[in-house]
Amino acid sequence: MSDQKRIGVYICHCGGNISDYVDVEGVLRAVQDEPGVVVAKTAMFTCSDATQQEMVRDIREQNLTGLVVASCSPKLHLFTFREVARRAGLNPYQYTQVNIREQCSWAHTGDRAGATEKAIRLVRGGIARTNFTEPLEPITIDTVPKVLVVGAGIAGLRAATGLADLGLSVLLVEKSASAGGKVAGLGKMYPHEKTGREIIARLVDEVKRRENITLFTNAELVEKSGSIGNFRVKIRLGGKQREEIEENAGCIIVATGFDTYRPREGEYGYGIDGVLTLAEYKELLDRCGGGLVRNGKPVKDIVYIYCVGSRQQAGEKPNRYCSRYCCNAAVHASIQSSEASPGIHQFHLFRDMRTYGKFETLYGRARDQGAVFVRYSESEPPAVEKGADGKLKVTVKDLLTFGEQIEIPADVVVLVTGMVPARNEALVDVLKLPVGRDGFFNEIHPKLRPVETVVDGVFICGACQGPKNSAESVASALAAVTQSASILKKGYVELEPLIASVDPGLCELCDVCAGACPYSAIERDHYQGKEVARVNEAVCKGCGGCAPVCPRNAINLKGYTDAQMESMIDAMLKEIG
Amino acid sequence: MALVNPGFVDAVKQSEAFNASACMNCGVCSAVCPMGIELLPRKLFRYVLLGLEEKVLENTETIYSCLLCKMCEANCPARVHIAENVRFLRSYINKKVFKL
Repeated sequence: MSDQKRIGVYICHCGGNISDYVDVEGVLRAVQDEPGVVVAKTAMFTCSDATQQEMVRDIREQNLTGLVVASCSPKLHLFTFREVARRAGLNPYQYTQVNIREQCSWAHTGDRAGATEKAIRLVRGGIARTNFTEPLEPITIDTVPKVLVVGAGIAGLRAATGLADLGLSVLLVEKSASAGGKVAGLGKMYPHEKTGREIIARLVDEVKRRENITLFTNAELVEKSGSIGNFRVKIRLGGKQREEIEENAGCIIVATGFDTYRPREGEYGYGIDGVLTLAEYKELLDRCGGGLVRNGKPVKDIVYIYCVGSRQQAGEKPNRYCSRYCCNAAVHASIQSSEASPGIHQFHLFRDMRTYGKFETLYGRARDQGAVFVRYSESEPPAVEKGADGKLKVTVKDLLTFGEQIEIPADVVVLVTGMVPARNEALVDVLKLPVGRDGFFNEIHPKLRPVETVVDGVFICGACQGPKNSAESVASALAAVTQSASILKKGYVELEPLIASVDPGLCELCDVCAGACPYSAIERDHYQGKEVARVNEAVCKGCGGCAPVCPRNAINLKGYTDAQMESMIDAMLKEIG
Repeated sequence: MALVNPGFVDAVKQSEAFNASACMNCGVCSAVCPMGIELLPRKLFRYVLLGLEEKVLENTETIYSCLLCKMCEANCPARVHIAENVRFLRSYINKKVFKL
């Protein structure tokens, strides 16, 4: 087979990223006479339009049947060069990418000769593999026009109505007894001054009016199998009977929200009567129509302490992130307090004010109303203790008066608490969700793929991904809707064909492969009167775990067959001339 | 340790002559002051906003040494009417300290 292949090899300088530490011309000389190679070139940037066009021309004119590019990580440009092959009429799976940037020039900056030698071996391996490639076609899977949304807070509810209006059915699963999440407990919100309750009531009403949304409360997702386009999910319903139902869904959107940071006992005086979290204070504010009163006494002096539970630098597992909603929420609460009780004194002890975008106008309004902002240093945080005549005493060093120690009497101290990730270990386990160092769920790319996860067909949105306000949560929910719809409205998905396959003639169904498969992709089938193992193409990820354990050598990995692997090893071990 | 006196804040607020809420503490006023008065006005105004009456009274001398030339006011990026604020403080001290 190998002597029929006609391979083109292109070695990239990557500007200097590669050629500064790898002798690119030396690599070219060492590989140009490898078996099968008919074209071998170097280029300043192989990914440039000009070089791509040159490759297309070479493939057509030289009738190439294999393509090798030695450049960067396949994470960056695998699809770029597969597309080059496709444009030239070559099957994209007859392309091999060799990574001589991350694996050679960047890893061995102190050893030019060694980096060059390693590059030569890797490129020879790539050429050897390409000699055995076969044309492959992507696996096509029909999709189920239904989406499972986990969490019925503001993000989950809005995602559900968005999906329903695109003609997709929705299973909306909520762990607690009612829909609405954290926003359902909020009073007036900026900028329209509608309450959280009103907004959620309206959304729930919208959900009820759509026949293709099914809302399950007291329910949890307990099992997931299958893959993008056709997941099989098991939902456990609470209540007395504790029944479980099974459903199919094409995509899954996770919108499980956040928890409010709970200060430790004694943290900024938490535990002393009158020291409240922002959420607790907002409840108080919400209850008081005209005139702020707490425990029968009018509230006249309020001190807010910002960044409680956020932007921590020390301690065990500190929350290093900014919770981003809290400056705005505290300033908004300050304005509402002034309106409820004109003439009250409000002191905001902040580290840095982050009233970004349109919220800046709120900050200005709060100052106009007389609220005073005092900047404290993280290294010298304010202290809260019981003071004289039933008041609280807050002492702080004000950086804006160049370190003046001041003492503020207060009726209420509001700890402006941030967001922490909700505890969802069971769900993380079921969905294999990627959890970041901060405990929130991770997207694939923070800018370009902000709602997709490494699990194909599973999306994240809202504050389960990181601190967000309600508007930002809804925006990301609608992004997840669009991503789901873009898969499901097409009607099918294409998956990588680089997966395992069983030769039914050799298989004797010992089931060793099934035990080695982490994805439960091995199923049973009949072949010429005997039972054999079969790979479910939609479920297999091509990890290769089953191939080496098969005692009959009946399993091969497409694109990485035994013959390919052996030829790569031989090529890599060859003497450097 | 300076004690915040909410009563002082209220007295200042009532007059409507004093307004420094827009002050962002940039320090241009102090930099352009022909008298080289370091305290005026940014530090002083913070004392007023915070209700640190004793700190304000400690600086009576400085408050009266201002020329009211408005060099600071002309250069203030937040458009705080600084001279008016200083005049208000003099009037407050006249009544409170000198009983005029």
